[in-house]
Amino acid sequence: MQANRVGIGLIAFFGLAGLGLALIPVLVGAPGEVAGILASIGVIWALVALGFIVFLRGQKRKAAHQDWVFRNGIRGRATVVEAGSHATVNEMPLMKMTLDLEVPGMERRQVTRRQVMSVFAARRLEPGLALPVYVNPEDPDDLVLVW
Amino acid sequence: MPDLDASFSALAAERGLEPLPGFAAGPLTPLLVESGAGQLAPAARGRLGGEVDGVVGQLSYARNRTFRFSVALAEVPASTEFAPRLFCIRRGRSTRDDEFYGLEARDSKLWTESIALNERYAVSTSPFQDPSWLRQLFSPAFVDWLASAPPADFSFELAYGALLGSVERDAPDAAALAALCDATAHVAERIRRECEE
Repeated sequence: MQANRVGIGLIAFFGLAGLGLALIPVLVGAPGEVAGILASIGVIWALVALGFIVFLRGQKRKAAHQDWVFRNGIRGRATVVEAGSHATVNEMPLMKMTLDLEVPGMERRQVTRRQVMSVFAARRLEPGLALPVYVNPEDPDDLVLVW
Repeated sequence: MPDLDASFSALAAERGLEPLPGFAAGPLTPLLVESGAGQLAPAARGRLGGEVDGVVGQLSYARNRTFRFSVALAEVPASTEFAPRLFCIRRGRSTRDDEFYGLEARDSKLWTESIALNERYAVSTSPFQDPSWLRQLFSPAFVDWLASAPPADFSFELAYGALLGSVERDAPDAAALAALCDATAHVAERIRRECEE
């Protein structure tokens, strides 16, 4: 997952507005009770922005690791055995897949993966569909599916 | 403004296509997903151009405001193994006006040396796409063709073997529909050839 322009805008809005609500009433000398309420709202908004930033940093680290597996991993084939979804994230289905892995130099096996995917991709994940996969040579459970 | 049904009838007569009152394409590509069910109306089925068969139709949907595209859909099943998703979208194209979500699936922007191509299109694919295959697909001749030959508002989406060419037209005439069919067929044949090689 990655932030789009709306995501960047939300971070900027909650971060800046949160800081504003927390600081401006104090700076202009607003009554204590009003300043306290606005500061509480401001801190919550700023924490929301901070939480989003922390989440995105985690996603960036995960993406960097996946890029490493893609560049250094062993290319194989993943055949969909079973796929389904019972949840969505931002209109995108969270797919649970059972994949049959065929990777050169590794024993053939089945793995289960969860992945948020675009609707057009999720719809095509039917048993028998074969997709490229890259597997970490040092950790057979560490893989990226090309979808 | 040309009459939509008349334009599709004229195209069907000119090219020997089968006129259809409607065609349910389904959510096969991002543009069709935006429209919901991917319902094309009117539509026509048959030879789009060259050796490529498919469906040409009008796509209309509302996402705060109404979006209208003329689209041509063809199948290139062999491409799934090489490039599960590849999008070549005219820069500045808008397909929705109600974006509320801040997260999206990760993709990768394709770099090419062609300034003309980069100025005209945003090309994106899976972040784990084999770059060598894409470099072969985007040969200098294909890049030059993309940058200069298709209709000005042409874009294409390749997703799991479904190729959707599209132009942003409210009421296209038969000539505009024919140009869309030709451009989509050209892209389909180029992708097919690269898969075979």
